[in-house]
Amino acid sequence: MSADHGTPSGTSSGAEPGGDAFDAAARLRMIDDQQARTRSGLEPDSRLLYLAWGAAWLVGYLAMWLTSRDGGQPAAWAGWTLAAAIVAAMVFTMVHSIRRTAGMRGTSARAGAMYGWGWMLGFLTMWAILNGLIRAGAGDEMIAVAANGIACLIVGLMYLGGGMVFQDNGLYALGVWMLVTAAVATLVGLPGTNLVMALLGGGGFLAMGAVTAVVQARRQVGHD
Amino acid sequence: MTENDLDGIIHAPARLRIVATLATLGPGDEIAFPKLRKLLDMTAGNLSTHLRKLEDAEYVEVTKTHEGRTPATYLKLTEHGRAAFREYRTALAGLLKGTGA
Repeated sequence: MSADHGTPSGTSSGAEPGGDAFDAAARLRMIDDQQARTRSGLEPDSRLLYLAWGAAWLVGYLAMWLTSRDGGQPAAWAGWTLAAAIVAAMVFTMVHSIRRTAGMRGTSARAGAMYGWGWMLGFLTMWAILNGLIRAGAGDEMIAVAANGIACLIVGLMYLGGGMVFQDNGLYALGVWMLVTAAVATLVGLPGTNLVMALLGGGGFLAMGAVTAVVQARRQVGHD
Repeated sequence: MTENDLDGIIHAPARLRIVATLATLGPGDEIAFPKLRKLLDMTAGNLSTHLRKLEDAEYVEVTKTHEGRTPATYLKLTEHGRAAFREYRTALAGLLKGTGA
């Protein structure tokens, strides 16, 4: 393609070869394709993120529930499985999001960074609160119930915030769902808390991932 | 409205793709040159040439800066460029209707 294609309109060099072969429909398609490609190149793929978090919660909390449903303490391996699953999902989320949004600056990049730090600050605060509860004499059961409830509360509120900032109704709906999960998981108490976290929490992420995938696939079909 | 009335600066396919890409970003956002190149699959030389034309027409704003010691170039559509793209797109849609396609 010649770099000197910018001759003012009215000359033949501005047109596609073949004169009236110029095709407005093809031009519009070209614009749409390029804009779709740009969006998918700059925005994190939420399907992958929902899948990572859904799998982590489902596997981790199911392990916790299966080894404690008789009313005892969960097995140590279950605790490690949950911790490893959460850390893996966190690392994946950070690496994926930072890669996709690298090379951008301005309003959106700033909002995205503030959102990312919001998660970090929320969970640091949770750690402080749990430490305070332990110092105040809270036992294992109270800590377990509080940790899950607060974690789920943070997730729910951050999604409400994300839905507002990024104008994403799906994200907002997931936030509401996570707040419901937080309430139910806390009210049910151990060992049911773990099952609620696995099914409502992990299942909620996976359902959201599936819905997002279907919506995107439909949009793709409508577009082609 | 005929094809000849279309904005000649945006009409070149390469520049149309560049402007379409930049129009996807929010008005307050800028994109680094290497990232833009990746989204467009163009050579650096080719992209620079087209960007210079767009900058001359005041469609694109180029910011040269440093990140640490590495020079970095950021690009964004000006208000003028954004309006031109919107008009071009509307004109295309109009042509499409006109031909009954």
